[in-house]
Amino acid sequence: MTATVAAQELRDLWVGGRGPVLLFAFSVVLSVVTYLTATNQVLNFLERREAVNLTLQVAVAVGALVTLIVSADGVSGERERGTLESLLLAPVSRRAIVAGKLIAAVSLWFAAFVVTVPYVWVLGRGVSIVGRALVLGSVVGTLLALALSALGLLISALSNSNKVSLAVAFFLLLALFAPTQLPGGPPQGWFGNVLDAVNPVASGLRYLSAVLVTGHDWTRDLAYLASPLVAAAAAGCVLLLTADRLVRLTGGVSAG
Amino acid sequence: MTGTAEVTVEAVGLTKRFGGRTAVADVSFAARRGEVLGLLGRNGAGKTTTVRLLTTVLTPTSGDFRVAGLPSGRPRDIRRVVGVLPESAGFPAHLTGVEYLRYFGRLYGLSAADAGRAAERLLTDVGLAGRAYSPISTYSRGMRQRLGIGRALVNDPVVVFLDEPTLGLDPAGQRQVLRLVRDIAQNRGATVILSTHALPDVEEVCTTVLILDEGAVLVSGTVGDVTRAAAAPRSGQLRVPLALVGPATRALAEVDGLAVQASEARPDLLRIALDGGPPPEGEADAGLNRALAALIKAGVPVLSFEVEGGRLNDAFLAMTRGGGT
Repeated sequence: MTATVAAQELRDLWVGGRGPVLLFAFSVVLSVVTYLTATNQVLNFLERREAVNLTLQVAVAVGALVTLIVSADGVSGERERGTLESLLLAPVSRRAIVAGKLIAAVSLWFAAFVVTVPYVWVLGRGVSIVGRALVLGSVVGTLLALALSALGLLISALSNSNKVSLAVAFFLLLALFAPTQLPGGPPQGWFGNVLDAVNPVASGLRYLSAVLVTGHDWTRDLAYLASPLVAAAAAGCVLLLTADRLVRLTGGVSAG
Repeated sequence: MTGTAEVTVEAVGLTKRFGGRTAVADVSFAARRGEVLGLLGRNGAGKTTTVRLLTTVLTPTSGDFRVAGLPSGRPRDIRRVVGVLPESAGFPAHLTGVEYLRYFGRLYGLSAADAGRAAERLLTDVGLAGRAYSPISTYSRGMRQRLGIGRALVNDPVVVFLDEPTLGLDPAGQRQVLRLVRDIAQNRGATVILSTHALPDVEEVCTTVLILDEGAVLVSGTVGDVTRAAAAPRSGQLRVPLALVGPATRALAEVDGLAVQASEARPDLLRIALDGGPPPEGEADAGLNRALAALIKAGVPVLSFEVEGGRLNDAFLAMTRGGGT
């Protein structure tokens, strides 16, 4: 039954919904970043591998974060559009409903990744990191997309309104993405390192940098992947295990 | 429907509390196959909550119920045998009617081919065959309600719950929906639980009614039973030619047990009411008929005559302390 729900959710997202629009916006952002990376007089001191890394980081971060926004509309949006009750009335488990929505949200990341491939390929000509960049980007991006989509659905199920859900998701998005924009350099201290380590977005992007720019072997800094991996597993498990209690006609934690 | 038909819905002491507020209080009733049961009540009386409890969207705080013989502890099995048109149901605007019903057919376990066939058949049944391939965004409210009823029938349900199906529809739309309701009970043999504010709808299609007030059952029975239980007064208003108001008033004054009162604003309108307490069944009609006979005998033409009281609407208002919200 998950497959039936997922097929419909995919259709809602890609045929009648926001999927194509978000993907177009993503393409525009990536085009601008790639153009600046390749041509800007200030930025063109970058080595090719740094240019690939920068573009891939933007693609992974934006692509995964967009899934958060889509999934944050998943339950609360259906509540407000009046379509959730009909779904709850069908003989489908609520776990299957959220699993279908999770698959649809993550599909946005996969589409974004496909769009990213030619940009990375163009920027990476002449250096032999394109293949590695795409493999690592797909792994990190998929983990982040799974984690953020599941978080988005949890936020959506718990929120009393779609506005609240989208606002909380947007705040979370900023909280996760902002640390990745801090300039590197001086040591941040133990607290800064802890924050960095528990932030799946920051950790995932740091792993990409370590392999693609610093040239570490892909196995050397696997600890950076712990945070995205744990976030994806934890958020996914909590979502699926609590779906029966969370996916209801009313949001919040006390309504029955 | 007869009193011996199979009981398909049975609620016993059904109660639902949201925090300190009791939405449904100790509701017990039974409905049988082929019956159209009208669930009446003011806004907030507990109708929608009752429907949501019986359709397993909500879990009761206490009490129990069975639907189509299935106990409340088997919610997914119950959802397989009920069809529901929720209040204010939303529809995905970008889908066509046939895509929408096909999707729900698939959710009920039909194969893609069977779901497609069921969708086309149901759209024909609800009068939407001509718009089957139009996006739902182009449907009128009445068409969406009929589509919602089509979706409620996609699993050939034993019990169909319709929550305010005629709300916001024009008279033609209301008529179409009521025809469908009758058809569901008579031709499909399903039990229909019709939650509504529209009392004329109930009088038209319901075999039995259940009036809820503040979450509790106020009264239940046939429309006639409920009307009599309310002891609604019987009265009427008739219009006669202005020049004949005098003879009309005198003729009516001679009828035993009848009070006559002229309207100050409209002198040609005469209000008549049966004296005393509520009359026994049938007596009220006889009293009003005697008034009409007296006018005809006096040669006074009756331009209009409207009976007041004795209808479900009056019973409802009397029982729910004015029916205000």
